[in-house]
Amino acid sequence: MTDGIDKAREEFFSEAQELVESLSRNLLALDASLKRGTLDPSLVNEAFRAVHTLKGLAGLFGAKRVGALSHRLEDVLDGLRLGRLALTVEVLDLLFRAVEIYSAALAAERSKSDDPLPHLDDIIGEFGRIGSTAPAQKNTLARFELDAAMLAVLTEYEEHRLRTSVEQGLLLYRVRVDFDLATIDKALEDIKARAKVHGEVITYLPTGSATSTDTIELDLLLASSSTEEELRDSLSGERVSVAAIPVRSPASQPKATAPPERDGASRPPPLPSLVPRRGDVVSERAPIMEPPAEQAAALRAVAQTVRVDIRKLDALMNVVGELAIVKNTLGRLAERIRAEGHRQLGSELHSVQRSFDRRLGELQGGILEVRMVPLGQVFDRLARVVRQIGREMDKDIRLVITGAETEIDKLIVEELSDPLMHVVRNAIDHGIEHADERRRVGKPVAGTIALNAFQKGNHAVIEVEDDGRGIDERAILRRAVALGKVGPDDIGQLARNEILNLVFLPGLSTREEASDYSGRGVGMDVVKTNISKLGGVIDLHSETDIGTKLTITLPVTLAIVSALLVRVAGRVFAMPLTSVAEAISLNEAEIRTLDGREVTTLRGVTLPVCRLAKIFGLAPLPGSAPHRRGYIVVASLGSRRLGFAVDDLHGQQDIVIKALGKSLSRVRGFSGATELGDQRVALVLDPAALIEEMFSGEVVRERRLSHG
Amino acid sequence: MADAMRAPASLAERRAPAESLGPREFLSFRLDADTYAVALAGIREIVSPPPVTEVPRAPPDIIGICSVRGLLVTVIDLRRRLRLPEAPPSRLSRILLANTEPGEVVGLFVDEVRQVVRLGASELELTANVLGGDLADHVLGVGRPDGDFVVLLDLNRIVGT
Amino acid sequence: MPKILIVEDSFSMRAFVRSALEGDRAELGDVDVVEATGGFDALRLLPRGPYDLVITDINMPDINGLELIHFIRTNEHHRSTPILLISTQSSERDRARGLSLGADGYLAKPFSVDDLRTAAKAQLARSKPGGTTK
Repeated sequence: MTDGIDKAREEFFSEAQELVESLSRNLLALDASLKRGTLDPSLVNEAFRAVHTLKGLAGLFGAKRVGALSHRLEDVLDGLRLGRLALTVEVLDLLFRAVEIYSAALAAERSKSDDPLPHLDDIIGEFGRIGSTAPAQKNTLARFELDAAMLAVLTEYEEHRLRTSVEQGLLLYRVRVDFDLATIDKALEDIKARAKVHGEVITYLPTGSATSTDTIELDLLLASSSTEEELRDSLSGERVSVAAIPVRSPASQPKATAPPERDGASRPPPLPSLVPRRGDVVSERAPIMEPPAEQAAALRAVAQTVRVDIRKLDALMNVVGELAIVKNTLGRLAERIRAEGHRQLGSELHSVQRSFDRRLGELQGGILEVRMVPLGQVFDRLARVVRQIGREMDKDIRLVITGAETEIDKLIVEELSDPLMHVVRNAIDHGIEHADERRRVGKPVAGTIALNAFQKGNHAVIEVEDDGRGIDERAILRRAVALGKVGPDDIGQLARNEILNLVFLPGLSTREEASDYSGRGVGMDVVKTNISKLGGVIDLHSETDIGTKLTITLPVTLAIVSALLVRVAGRVFAMPLTSVAEAISLNEAEIRTLDGREVTTLRGVTLPVCRLAKIFGLAPLPGSAPHRRGYIVVASLGSRRLGFAVDDLHGQQDIVIKALGKSLSRVRGFSGATELGDQRVALVLDPAALIEEMFSGEVVRERRLSHG
Repeated sequence: MADAMRAPASLAERRAPAESLGPREFLSFRLDADTYAVALAGIREIVSPPPVTEVPRAPPDIIGICSVRGLLVTVIDLRRRLRLPEAPPSRLSRILLANTEPGEVVGLFVDEVRQVVRLGASELELTANVLGGDLADHVLGVGRPDGDFVVLLDLNRIVGT
Repeated sequence: MPKILIVEDSFSMRAFVRSALEGDRAELGDVDVVEATGGFDALRLLPRGPYDLVITDINMPDINGLELIHFIRTNEHHRSTPILLISTQSSERDRARGLSLGADGYLAKPFSVDDLRTAAKAQLARSKPGGTTK
């Protein structure tokens, strides 16, 4: 029984996370709208609702600190939505800080830790100091002949919206719609979208008079500046009727506060702009100033989704992996049956196996799709970081996001957020110049950071580009020499991109003195390590005064991969096919030594060769036949290529990669292990790490050797 | 078996206070010619060794990895860990799967599994006779069930949690 | 077996209420809990009644809880269904409105599993044959 409550608690954390994310998006949108001088009341209301729900949930699940924070936020947002508080940049700053603190508070709650959260107490104090004014209660609603029964079912917020609309001089209409219960969702979205173009829907009231048991009739209370004719033209239909709510004649109005504004005698203030203007924060995934109708549709889409614990997906993937082994066994059985003379039977089994293979492929593909989430998740968080750092460093930053819908495995996304944040921080801190310097070189005052993502085969590519000052090669070299990574005599030998790549050595990309904000900065070596751990590579491109571009290439999923099985010194290893460009025959005669390294030539291009048996220290197993020929498996990742010398190729197989345990975490060169069938286990090679190993730090040493 | 214990002359007192334990169950096993034991609660399963794949560049006392019903197990060579002489595996060899934190299943390779032993306070001696300076923390103490001599090992230290 | 409709737009809140109700076999017995994600969803699910109890939040987008209560009380099929309101501590006005529109009781957030069960039990007892109905 407590299982149920525990499970509900897990759901709570999941929902809380989503609420915080949705709050963050709302705040970003409010920020953008503030810059333009407009305000969409539904954004404030949504933010309020998110926090309100969070508060209620926190109370239910005993998350006191989350509840306390939510309570404060709720007060502020309620004040904002009821017009008691003005939305200023300072208030927004506080709200953004609160979003950051939420994550920490939720994490603490989830791990049931009692560690103090000083930021939480600070911000709660600051919220308390925001004053508010009670609105002057005018009897504006008396202006219209509103049905008392209808007024009675309005919540406080809805009443406020109604008052505000009336005060702004809008007219009120009742749009009566008859719905079929079966299709109410879609029909509702439809009428909402059409009505919202004209103004704000205050509330939806069931009329209680249904023509039949599978229909229902609703009244939409609409506040709009359009005329009755315009509304009729736009909305009326077979099941839709529009009626204006009559304005009370001045004589019967108890206490008019402003002259009635019919016939356009005085122009009502314009409705808040809902159309995004160019040059502001642009996001292709969710346009920041999306008209509310689309937002509602997006919300509906969310409601169609199912929440899945990623461990369940892992378990399903394991089963798929086991089924892959079954499939291979079936194949071998079919061969044996055929070999033993039962051709007909063998063929039938083979055809069963093929059909099994196809379905398995579909199943696997389906599960992989479920694990995939759009990169937009990470990009949203980055947008917050950009705003925060921009303000702290007093730099105006324009963020352009494209390709946020590109999907990648959820586990990878979780690990990406930190490295990307560091990259963006460095770009704003070191890359983008201050306003006067930018003016001097003729750049727009606002610096641009562009985040782009797209799929390339089995990889996802993420680009982070800035239009800042570019990487100062001389500074890098100076630093590298000072840290002893490069000998002073070798400076002249390094090619431009080798110099740029020095940035990835430990200690290179931090400031010499701590700046107020970012301390010494986070080293790019850490970023590179994190990306490598995910099986990806990172490339750097920079031009002085023009900007810097970082390209991160990642495998789309970690879970199940097609692999090439190879035999080295009698042992079987697996190499993910995504990194394999081709496999060629190994001809010892064609291997020569260049700069202390073995290389061969492939179609006129030099290809470095790595003998796996040698780097792994594998002696041939006793009793194994000496191999006559071998193969070179050419691995290519990003812009680098390496040929792995192996004894034999054992064909392709779909494998599920399982992580090696903690005790083996220091072993480099493997991304895990997989079961091949009959309980045999093969290690899975990590081409990225091996390529890294072959190339790292050897560049300069190599030069010295050959010229030494 | 009383003389089988190859303890060096120097004895070191355990720094940790001796815990008072009620009767506890241990699983005893043989390594080379001696009997050792670990807390039974820490062992989830005993299996016949499946094919073990060696892991290049791994620490020397890790034999390799194997698969038990799809679960990846890191196999530790207890002989090597405890600095005992090497010997080829026999048909009696077994792997003890230990309960570790989620994320890794560790298997201990032993020469033979003996039995479950219940030790009361009087049969336990927690002030350890150590085998060697740096292995002091691997040994919990000594048990003497029915006069036999069993070295009690600290499972947590062995699996590295 | 009592049939209970819970109208609430937060899914973890729905999960919480469901576990609380389903977990009390001793007192509540087996219950059939139907979840509505909001006012509209409730309208769609109402014809699948009759329900022995409706538990509804007040603040929901589109059709709010007050409107739902009004609808239920003016609908001949459901007008005697016991209704329990879920509201926040501070929204006194909304709570008062809800009661005056015909809700039978309310639970103010945050409430405990026991509070919920006690309230549910009390309302279910009213709709049983032999008990007093509205």
